[in-house]
Amino acid sequence: MLIYRVSRVLNLAHGELMMLAAYILISLTTLLGSHPVGALAGAVALSLLVGLVLYVVLMRRMTGELVIAAVLVTIALGILLRGVMVLGWTGRTYHPMQQLGWENKAIALGGGMTASTVALATVGMAVLLYCGLFAFFQFTQWGVRMRAVGENPLLASQRGIALHATYALAWALATLTGGLAGILIALDSGLDTTMAVVGLKAFPAALVGGLGSLRGAVVGSMIVAAAEVLAIHYIDPLVSDVVPFVVLIVMLLIRPWGLFGTEEEIERV
Amino acid sequence: MNAAAPLLRLEQVEVVYQKVITAVHGVSLEVPAGQIVVLLGANGAGKTTTLRAVTGFLGSDDARVTDGKIWFEAHAIENCPPHTVAARGIALVPERRKVFETLTVLENLQAAVPSGIRGRAARRERIDQVFDQFPRLAPARGRLAGYLSGGERQMLAMGSALIGAPRLLLVDEMSLGLAPRIVEELLERLVALKKALGLTVLLVEQSAHLALEVADYGYIMESGRVVLDGTAERLRGHGDVQEFYLGMGGGPDRRSYRDVKQYRRSRRWFG
Ligand SMILES: Nc1ncnc2c1ncn2[C@@H]1O[C@H](COP(=O)(O)OP(=O)(O)OP(=O)(O)O)[C@@H](O)[C@H]1O
Ligand SMILES: [Mg+2]
Repeated sequence: MLIYRVSRVLNLAHGELMMLAAYILISLTTLLGSHPVGALAGAVALSLLVGLVLYVVLMRRMTGELVIAAVLVTIALGILLRGVMVLGWTGRTYHPMQQLGWENKAIALGGGMTASTVALATVGMAVLLYCGLFAFFQFTQWGVRMRAVGENPLLASQRGIALHATYALAWALATLTGGLAGILIALDSGLDTTMAVVGLKAFPAALVGGLGSLRGAVVGSMIVAAAEVLAIHYIDPLVSDVVPFVVLIVMLLIRPWGLFGTEEEIERV
Repeated sequence: MNAAAPLLRLEQVEVVYQKVITAVHGVSLEVPAGQIVVLLGANGAGKTTTLRAVTGFLGSDDARVTDGKIWFEAHAIENCPPHTVAARGIALVPERRKVFETLTVLENLQAAVPSGIRGRAARRERIDQVFDQFPRLAPARGRLAGYLSGGERQMLAMGSALIGAPRLLLVDEMSLGLAPRIVEELLERLVALKKALGLTVLLVEQSAHLALEVADYGYIMESGRVVLDGTAERLRGHGDVQEFYLGMGGGPDRRSYRDVKQYRRSRRWFG
């Protein structure tokens, strides 16, 4: 979503990039077994680096090319990454939480509800990230520049904003936040090659909310999550992976630009 | 023509779109430091393309300077990316889409402050200077630029271009869709900046009236070529310019300058 907002390129390798961060954590844990915090920080930092490197070696050439071509490149990247990850880390399921020697305690929330520590941490992290990104886009020089590039790259570059630097920053931020999400999910529910589906579910959430809108992403993911939980409860747990996409299709029929998107954004894609 | 070395010099510049459409055929022109130069011409003459050749194209424009040289002082800048040209001190006020419509007035100015200016206070100062220059923008600072009137938009675009303290300002069709009063006001502002800061300006215009009043020198383009140039005074007095660009004399059918030249030439041969 971040990348889309700045460069209008839908990054369809997002799920794979999330997974990559989690796998990196696994490897770092085995390498520096005695420093769980170091392993976590290293994995987060490396996922940021991955974004930068990907932009510089792969997506940089796509700047100024057709958006659809760049989107296709991200699909190819996703397939490639998945292959590499299966080869590198095999398809077996990992439990990084155990490897780190931590326990995922269930915490009572009252009213008979419980939540795992990691799940709570995930929610906390999401809130933190949301506020952080919001402040970044709203109040910092680079954030305003990124929004300017997102609206009109030509004018932005005529105003002296270096497009490559801005896009690289967007990729780094996106893989950083995605990587964090991937790590947290792996900590909570283990890691195997199906995790990319979770990343894929982010697209219905983003599309329902309106692409490129931070507020939209939050509301969209709540709607999608609520629909999923209701479906698990009242229909069948097996349908849960399908529900987000059903919501997406319904939404696209009613209001194709999403809740918070603008009509004109649709035309550009 | 001018003794001083020009700030900007185009030598036989040729611009090709999509590898086949030649929009500018060997244009040469000079903009001396501290002067206002105007580039006149009818629709599709290649004025915008000439300015864009100076400020640089993006990959998505699918355009290139295929021949000739563009000198900004001692630097050859043809086919440089726009942000490096901007960093050299050339700012453009484009013809269309001249402000970031989804950003507020204040954010438009923030985005345009050069990265070389560090510190919140220093950036603030630059922005306040623009509000001093264009007082009408100050009360609208929190409004989205997409909701501004045409005149306010033009002011914001000029303010955003001037905030980087450029040495050369390129303005494309400032008068488009604006009341003559506002155009006059903006032109006066440019003359004042030229006198106070030694700002050099290259103006592109269709309506020659006001532009020739403030300009020192003028070029006239037709079909991608410069067909006439001279001091503003000389152009104002030139019969053909009066006829075709100042709307004096001449019939209701304003044919192109070149057609008429052709016609006169043939009359000379046969008549
Ligand atoms: N992106 C483009 N791709 C192909 N051809 C183009 C492109 N932009 C402009 N042209 C062509 O180049 C020629 C010159 O256009 P240009 O915009 O420079 O004219 P202009 O003098 O600025 O006209 P106006 O007064 O209408 O703004 C026109 O024939 C136009 O069709
Ligand atoms: Mg034009």
